[in-house]
Amino acid sequence: MRKKIERTGLVLLNLFFIAVCFGALVPILYAFSVSLNASNSILGSDFSFIPRQFTFANYRAVIIEQPVLLWFRNTVILAVSSVAISLLVAIPAAYSLSRFRFVGRLKIVGGLVLLHSFPAILSMFAIYRLLSPIGLVNTKAGIVLIYIGTMAMFGVLNLKGYFDSVPLEIEEAASIDGANTRQTVTTILLPLAKPTIIVTGIMVLIFVWNEYIYAITFMTGARNYTLAAGLYSLQATEMSGSWPVFASASIVVSLPILVIFFMTQKHMQSGLTAGGVKG
Amino acid sequence: MWKLKTDKCVLRSWLCLSPSLLIIGLIIVFPMIYTAYISLTNMNIYNWFDFEIIGLVNYGRALLVFDSGFLHALSVTFLWTAANMILQLVIAFVMASLLNVGKLRLRRVYKTILMFPWAMPGYVSILLWRNGMFNSQFGLLNQWLDRLGFDPVRWLADDVTAFISCLAVNLWLALPFMIMIIDGALQSVDKSYYESALIDGAGWFDRSVKLTIPAIRPIIGPAVIITLFTTFKQFDVIYLLTQQVGAKTGANIHTVLTYTYETAFVTSNYGYSSAISMCIFALLMGLTLLVKTKQRRRNA
Repeated sequence: MRKKIERTGLVLLNLFFIAVCFGALVPILYAFSVSLNASNSILGSDFSFIPRQFTFANYRAVIIEQPVLLWFRNTVILAVSSVAISLLVAIPAAYSLSRFRFVGRLKIVGGLVLLHSFPAILSMFAIYRLLSPIGLVNTKAGIVLIYIGTMAMFGVLNLKGYFDSVPLEIEEAASIDGANTRQTVTTILLPLAKPTIIVTGIMVLIFVWNEYIYAITFMTGARNYTLAAGLYSLQATEMSGSWPVFASASIVVSLPILVIFFMTQKHMQSGLTAGGVKG
Repeated sequence: MWKLKTDKCVLRSWLCLSPSLLIIGLIIVFPMIYTAYISLTNMNIYNWFDFEIIGLVNYGRALLVFDSGFLHALSVTFLWTAANMILQLVIAFVMASLLNVGKLRLRRVYKTILMFPWAMPGYVSILLWRNGMFNSQFGLLNQWLDRLGFDPVRWLADDVTAFISCLAVNLWLALPFMIMIIDGALQSVDKSYYESALIDGAGWFDRSVKLTIPAIRPIIGPAVIITLFTTFKQFDVIYLLTQQVGAKTGANIHTVLTYTYETAFVTSNYGYSSAISMCIFALLMGLTLLVKTKQRRRNA
């Protein structure tokens, strides 16, 4: 009797989770099936999640009729340069905040923590007004600068948190063996910190990939759009007819991020928790 | 001590720090100071160059005139944050507890699927909700309603339904993270805790309130505080669902951030917008310091 109750409970629990998982996937599944659906039955109420007639026409429309490849190129350029420069400036800063003792160190750390919690949108207009006279509005350099600045606190704090957790003794041993600071850092500390460095880089990458508000406010003209800004513009001119194209574009834009997310999910948890700044 | 010889490193440490500090100064700190300056002027689209300093007028308008919209946005933001946090914590706790039921074999599959809303680029999901789910003509929700014989609802056109819609989307986006955090915390709780409680015949609710929640509270604390801040600072959900420039849905809901964006880039009232920015800066700074001192007191 007891076993029977337990069994039905388990069945109910599984049904519950299947329903919840369906709920979690509904918008994505809907977009996915609309993007593959040939019969334009979306306006009727007889929609089904499995398309009756498959087509790739919507994907072809996205890639050929819309400048998606151009937007992809723009996004990759912005993302790669932001990640590279962010890491390049954050690693030495994090190292010196973690390892050197100097007056003002704690003040800087405190300041970074405080600035980290401020939303960049609040000073967006000021940034716009400061960058426009020096000709950095509507340029890639300007927007990269903004992205690097916005993620700089996170980068430094996250890496510093990890460096703090590496025992000093490892470096001491190396220096007794005659290695100088640069050698200890490049041959010992950086290889150790690789997961955290990768995670920090990926966070910057995801931030740039998903950022649309600066991209649409600071960049004008479809030629300069990133994928995010482009996707935004696709739906802003939305009529019911372009919804399948928009759905396909959404899937195309999301795929790289989904792949990266699930590839690095394991690292994510340790790489972020070790650093001690999340979000 | 090896690295702690101070003066030798001073120059080198500032050298290492300078690129980061320079960028942060340029993109974060200086614009903040400039925002403070603009907030004291009457800068707007007509006075782009010939603006003048008008003192605290903008602050007065933001904080003393209820009709101006800032106080309204602020109260909506508080309501938004509270509703989100309560629902998130309760739902995530229940879900995480259910995921930890001993004999649930497909746990890992469910967990992976439940991560999808988190893994998707946030703005894409929100736009899919807007264009796919909530659209009043061909949105999935209205298709379902239609099939059940109800009239279509214009989800995002009315303040109340729009707020609830935004709330639902934000929960959809934020729950995976919270479930993961609570799930992790639950697994770290010592199982032997429960044995005596089980012998005493305590039910699930009693065990949760008296044992589980006190045990996981310190573990999930930091994540909850971070979520609190991100919820307060939420921009994307409300902006993309209801307030897009040129594609507003008619609902008049604003959080403080969407309101600031609107006053700066839509109604072009830069001085006023900057004054609001400064108020939010101050508020966030106060909250951060409050949290920090509380944490320090607990640790001490």
